[in-house]
Amino acid sequence: MDRGWIWVIPPLLLCLAGAVLKACRHRGEPRHHHQGWGHKHGEATLSIDIYAYMSKISGWNPGFKVGLSVILLLMCVIANNMVVSLSVILITSTVTVVLGDMSLHHYLNLLTVPVVFLVAGSIMVLINFSWTPVAGAVANLNCHWFTIYITATSVHTTLLLWGRAFGAVCAMYMMSLSTMSGEIFSVLRRCHVPKLVIELMNMMYRYIFIMLDTQSRMKNSAQSRLGYCDFKTSIYSFGQSMGNLLIVSMKRGSQFYDAMESRGYDGDLVFLEEEKPLDKKMLLAAGLVISYLAFVWFVTTRGAGYYG
Amino acid sequence: MAESILKVQNLSYQYSGENQALKHVSVDIAAGERICVVGSNGAGKSTFFLNVNGVLTPDAGEIYFKGHHVGRNKKDLNDLRRGIGIVFQDADNQIIASTVMGEVSFGPMNLKLPKAEVQARVDEALDYMNLEAFKNRAPHYCSGGEKKRITIADIIAMHSEVIIFDEPTAALDPLNAVILEEVLGKLVDQGKTLLISTHDMDFAYRWAKRLLVFADGEIIADGTPETVFADDAIRIKANLKKPMLLDVYESMVSRGLAQDTGAYPKNILQFEKWLDQVKA
Repeated sequence: MDRGWIWVIPPLLLCLAGAVLKACRHRGEPRHHHQGWGHKHGEATLSIDIYAYMSKISGWNPGFKVGLSVILLLMCVIANNMVVSLSVILITSTVTVVLGDMSLHHYLNLLTVPVVFLVAGSIMVLINFSWTPVAGAVANLNCHWFTIYITATSVHTTLLLWGRAFGAVCAMYMMSLSTMSGEIFSVLRRCHVPKLVIELMNMMYRYIFIMLDTQSRMKNSAQSRLGYCDFKTSIYSFGQSMGNLLIVSMKRGSQFYDAMESRGYDGDLVFLEEEKPLDKKMLLAAGLVISYLAFVWFVTTRGAGYYG
Repeated sequence: MAESILKVQNLSYQYSGENQALKHVSVDIAAGERICVVGSNGAGKSTFFLNVNGVLTPDAGEIYFKGHHVGRNKKDLNDLRRGIGIVFQDADNQIIASTVMGEVSFGPMNLKLPKAEVQARVDEALDYMNLEAFKNRAPHYCSGGEKKRITIADIIAMHSEVIIFDEPTAALDPLNAVILEEVLGKLVDQGKTLLISTHDMDFAYRWAKRLLVFADGEIIADGTPETVFADDAIRIKANLKKPMLLDVYESMVSRGLAQDTGAYPKNILQFEKWLDQVKA
């Protein structure tokens, strides 16, 4: 066992402390019964942004949250270091679940989405092909004509890739599960992203919900008239509803514009946002986390190259 | 008569490729009036509203706001939009921001007010519509009645002198409709001029002091609810249903159950009072 792993212990302790805190906070509440794992189609993924509105840390300064998440993401991706990745995963998950008071079940549920992609994507990194069995491989799978084999290096590369990707996902989740989209847009505006892009983002975001709503209403009404009774009819109804959606969207788009104009829209889409002052203590904590990760990165890469 | 706040002369409008939506409409509205705009679907009510708000540009005709002629230039149109606010029929077509606070601030922000003033107006409007608890919610997770309240707060925050409601009661449950009527009462007390389009004749009869009847792009009648509903020709032409209480009143009078005192009760309280009176 390499000594480098001891640097995972502080984040792990933090995570455990958070778990205890959360358990104490919710003590005595009745346990919810969950209906299995995985995300529900059509619902859970679409209402992902509702968590940002419910999060206990939605009151933090949005610029701070976006900045911290991006820094952690970059550290995780650039360091390509198992210890750093694990630390990022532990720290960001603790922030989201404990400080943000999000249900652990929901959080893990959301993580199943990238897991599917990750597994599918990393298989090709993990396995190799050869005509003959390879000596010294961790596993050889004889497929008569050829052999699929896994080496210690490929296992290591895959784990590293997983850690990196997961760290990045957790860092982004920390941001998106605690920051309302409107606030993310305004942070981007302050970063001088072109105004046109920001306004498009704002309108698209708002419009997505209208379209989904319209589509689900059309689907329901088609279903109640047996529009989805068999495969052929379903295809037909789906096509019809999509075509209709286009027309409805164009019509609503112009009504939308009328309503905006009637409230004096003149090419500038600006909204009032709540002032969320930056807390010095928070800045200090973030600085500590980042310097700790930098330190771990430095210590673990200087010695053995195993972690990175 | 109070001073005229909105005057429209000979207004005509045609949607491209369709038949004429407004034909030579003229109307003079005084400050503080309570007006209901009635007429069947497609009679031109919404087109009229968009025209007097400067969103649609009339093909012909003149608009005067507070005595000033409204030209086609941007400044005049902006003044018009500042003075007249529309609460649209479908809240989803009006709501644009991703938080309730941002949404209500959209109008005041476009008025280029200082931030503190915008904040004050937003707080006031949210308080007015009893929406403080929703401040940081997402509009798309609100119910239909809540969305309606948000859209009304939108316009209240703009401090418009004239507020137009396009079929406000259409999507509301009875409780929300009662709340809406209370809000309308408060707005009247503040001296706002209100124009409300509606298909609810009982509401129009009890609430409005003046009725504008649209039919086929024209205003075919303009007067107090009593006079408009008394004219059967107009009622039939515009497909208006007689208000229930008026029907009851007239039936009782015609059957000799009570004499016509000219009371025309408009709500149940007035009706009961009238019954007591004629019984005595």
